[in-house]
Amino acid sequence: MVSKTEEAEVNRLESQADNGGGGEWEYLSLVRKLKLRRPDKVLKHGLTILNDPKKRSSLGHDEWTLYEQVAIAAMDCHCLDVAQDCIKVLQKKFPESKRVGRLEAMLLEAKGSWAEAEKAYLSLLEDNPLDQVILKRRVALTKAQGDISGAIQRLSEYLEVFMADHEAWRELAEIYVSLQMYKQAAFCYEELILSQPMIPLYHLAYADVLYTLGGLENLQTAKKYYASTIDLTGGKNNRALFGVCLCTFAVAQLTKGRYKEDKESPELQSLAAAALEKDYKLRAPSKLSLLGSTLRSLKLSS
Amino acid sequence: MAVGFAVGVLGVLILSHAAYSTIQYRTLLKITEEEFSGPPINVVFELLLGLVLCMWAALAVPGKFQSIQLDSDENRVVSLPSNLDFMIFNHRGKAFPLECTLKSK
Repeated sequence: MVSKTEEAEVNRLESQADNGGGGEWEYLSLVRKLKLRRPDKVLKHGLTILNDPKKRSSLGHDEWTLYEQVAIAAMDCHCLDVAQDCIKVLQKKFPESKRVGRLEAMLLEAKGSWAEAEKAYLSLLEDNPLDQVILKRRVALTKAQGDISGAIQRLSEYLEVFMADHEAWRELAEIYVSLQMYKQAAFCYEELILSQPMIPLYHLAYADVLYTLGGLENLQTAKKYYASTIDLTGGKNNRALFGVCLCTFAVAQLTKGRYKEDKESPELQSLAAAALEKDYKLRAPSKLSLLGSTLRSLKLSS
Repeated sequence: MAVGFAVGVLGVLILSHAAYSTIQYRTLLKITEEEFSGPPINVVFELLLGLVLCMWAALAVPGKFQSIQLDSDENRVVSLPSNLDFMIFNHRGKAFPLECTLKSK
């Protein structure tokens, strides 16, 4: 999970490394620790270190981790020659290694030879049928071929065994959202909120899915989850603030005339609108009139 | 950090001096054959001062406190890690080849 301070630190190190101020290794370590996907920068700075024998040997054992990181980044950038070179070095150092075998299979994937990659993964699975990373790679392989329903099937099989893997739940949720299967996606997000209740982004995504599903009950629940996102972020998430406003408007549209005021928190939406106005005034004064007209159309300000 | 450490050492010295003074006071009481009812007032002051200094050093020296609030900058999650275990390579990056002039070795 990337917190606000960590994000600022990454950006500082990135601009420092980009401008030749050193700190490449710190940047690469942080990218690895936070699991960010910035292949072009990793490739550039990683190769600067790897091509300099003095810098490379000063890393000690971390050298091999860096080779792996650069190899994956190179595949992501489609610089397959670089990836091939890195893997060759690792192969020489660690023959018989499963981790290098996985890299080779990933290289096959990057080349687009799906059948060979599948064969490589299967042979790796023979030794250890419950290797989580390889099982996940096979899901990704199916997805890469465009067979989304096959990927869903493999992923659900995987989740039956490894139910605590929240990254897999998140992947499944995102696949379902991409297929507009919101009910299933909502279930996945419920699992994610259960396993990591303190992460506001899951609350936000769950609320988004519920709002998209529509219906009075879902809208009311969505509003609650937007409110909990606001609670967890201290009101610094504009999407959640907008969500509260939209949910209020949608609920009011649905219940027009039927219910009298039965609101639990009548000030919530006006407070959210006020917080939005304050933030826009501070950070984007030119867009303030746009926000005003949006809020007026939602009947939240006059 | 260094200031905090010095204050801590000073606090411990004051505390040991208080202990020494109390022992002296008790031997004095034994000579005059009086009952020990409590330490003298200057020793009590010394004890309190030593306590405050040691407490301050113990809070300052070990390092910074971590924030407990959910919405502080250290704890507020602003983005999820990219799901690297499920990364796929046939994305539109293929259409924008990086200058592959970068070569290893």
